[in-house]
Amino acid sequence: MDELLEQFLLEGRDLVAQASADFVALGQRADDAVAIDSAFRAIHTLKGSVAIFALHPAERILHAAEDLLERAKKSGAAIEPDALAALVACIDRIDHWIDDIERDGSLPEDAASVSDRLVAAFLTHSRDTMPSSPASAAPASPDESAWTMALLERQEAAHDGARALAAFRYTPDPDCFFRGEDPLAIAMAVPEILVLSVRPAGGAWPAHDAIEPFACTSILEGLSAADVETVRGALRLVHDQATVTAVDTRRDSGAALPERDGKSADMLRVSAARVDALADGLGELIVAVNAMAGLAETANGVDRVLAANVRAVQAGLEKVTGRLHRDVSAVRAVSLESALRRLPRLVREIAESLGKQVRLTIEGEELEVDKQIADAMFEPLLHLLRNAIDHGAEPPEQRLASGKVVECLISLRFKRAGDSVMAILSDDGRGIDPARIREVAVERGLRNRDEAEALSDAAALRLIFVPGFSTAETVTSVSGRGVGMDAVQAVIERLRGTIDVESALGAGTTFRMRLPVSALTTRLLVVEAGSGRYGIALDQILETVRIENDALKAVGSGQACVLRGRTVPVVSLGALLGDDAPDHPVARMLVTQAAGDRVAVRVDRFSERLDAFVRPSAGLLASVPGVTGSTLMGDGSVLLVLDLPELLA
Amino acid sequence: MSVRLEGDLIFLEGRCTAEESEMLLIALRDRPGLAIDASGLTRAHLAVVQVLLALKPEIRLPPADRILAEIIMDQ
Repeated sequence: MDELLEQFLLEGRDLVAQASADFVALGQRADDAVAIDSAFRAIHTLKGSVAIFALHPAERILHAAEDLLERAKKSGAAIEPDALAALVACIDRIDHWIDDIERDGSLPEDAASVSDRLVAAFLTHSRDTMPSSPASAAPASPDESAWTMALLERQEAAHDGARALAAFRYTPDPDCFFRGEDPLAIAMAVPEILVLSVRPAGGAWPAHDAIEPFACTSILEGLSAADVETVRGALRLVHDQATVTAVDTRRDSGAALPERDGKSADMLRVSAARVDALADGLGELIVAVNAMAGLAETANGVDRVLAANVRAVQAGLEKVTGRLHRDVSAVRAVSLESALRRLPRLVREIAESLGKQVRLTIEGEELEVDKQIADAMFEPLLHLLRNAIDHGAEPPEQRLASGKVVECLISLRFKRAGDSVMAILSDDGRGIDPARIREVAVERGLRNRDEAEALSDAAALRLIFVPGFSTAETVTSVSGRGVGMDAVQAVIERLRGTIDVESALGAGTTFRMRLPVSALTTRLLVVEAGSGRYGIALDQILETVRIENDALKAVGSGQACVLRGRTVPVVSLGALLGDDAPDHPVARMLVTQAAGDRVAVRVDRFSERLDAFVRPSAGLLASVPGVTGSTLMGDGSVLLVLDLPELLA
Repeated sequence: MSVRLEGDLIFLEGRCTAEESEMLLIALRDRPGLAIDASGLTRAHLAVVQVLLALKPEIRLPPADRILAEIIMDQ
């Protein structure tokens, strides 16, 4: 893809997210000056970017949005609800179009007519509110802040020093050329000029055949590092055609441009592939460091002092790689915000298409997690949100009848819990009826009647994660896409996370997802089973237990044991992997959670624990179920890393 | 002469005066594919700059003066 376009897609989405966040703030406080200013900047910059790609329909909408925000900025007036709706519609459309451009390389065919409609919405609004907005106290021309800001932006690109500047705008008289004047020479004679721009006085340059070479049709705008008086002096002969204003970039950069300055000055955009390469290298380093443990062991047999020295060096290296690991993880960490930026728009669209009214609040999205986790989280969350809107949210009239507010409140919260991030999605909709779930499970042949009746309500709710389950009476275009909750659970488990559901009939449903924050290295427990050694991620292991063989009970064709008062099925890892397990008097088991239930997995021996860089399965191994990937051991051997929930499925 | 046509290129050189804007306009209107070599341009009257901005010919080489170059390359 064209690099410029790629950059635009990235930045465009950043700007859309910025404006969206500002609009949310404006929804809470309609006269929030900081939000209005920030949204104005985002839209203004977006407009500039789309202009580069000649995306005229997008440019027109953004121009209309920019106008509206600019008026609000200047008058200090609040953004009326219908104006805010127009702004949200504008930014949603732009977001859509960015997707379209990425996919098709161009705007959709209806772009022009959609643009007309959206611009019309702004115009209606501006006619309604223009007369009522308080008169601007600014002494200068009505769009002063816009032009000085545009100049400042160009100035920022060229210099980064913060200082007092003078901006001038010079509108020469159309006949000035005949008098022998050259406005450009006058403007260029302004001392310490930083930026000078020549723009068409009428908003656009005349058509080719309408150009009058000797009529001045330009406006000159410039920024000088000299003080206002000096600039006025330089323009004294044309003082009736020029305005000069002081611009304090220190104030601007402190108050109004904080993010922009921070971003352009200290931020790097680095391709994810480069960071991945760094992580790969680090993975190999960790393997090499792990190999030293074996070396120390060997040395111990020869020379104890040497062995101690090797161990000391190993400890030092471990400390350094540990720090490096944290640093590389931090580089890979992205705020959830960027991964989730499209959710609010999609939620609005889904709600609209279903005739539901919902209000989504997102909290804690500034949390940083590994990019892989952040990216992979989007689909499952979107699916859960679809379900919440489609199945959870009642139609408005039904909500009113049951004494609820008309909008279904959906909250998505993220919080850090140790090495995990929790995502909690709740709605105050109709809740899930466990009786109905049992019914459906029986109808679909997932459980027989007795099994279904024996399930607790909580266990019955978990049936929604079973493949082939769908409670939708009619398959809607929104939820009924053939991916069910089982797909959601599969994604979460692939990320080594867990998902739980709670629901109260009539009051709403809550999903809790727990995901690791860092996907880079994995704490593994090495176990032996049959003739092999395998790695198992520690976060898939709830506990490890040793019990006497006699405590295992035969249940049907399998075995079970009682752990903390609960009967847990016992599965032999050796048998699962097609290997015979030798009989030990003591059963060593690790307890894991598969599809919401505890399962004890019997192994022959627990071996060491290690931090390993697990490479995802590729090639032939990728098709083997139950194998997450592999890792290289210090002695050069390859350890297969198992995915217990998948293996047990 | 500071506006000079050579092949498919218009050379703008030295100081371009208001009078020369008309010549430039006619040349660019007649042959819209002409490109500009402004590397030798030291000063340009606003009338000349307006023609360049309105007709947007391809600028092969910008003038050495930073401010002038930014103005001409802006559109």
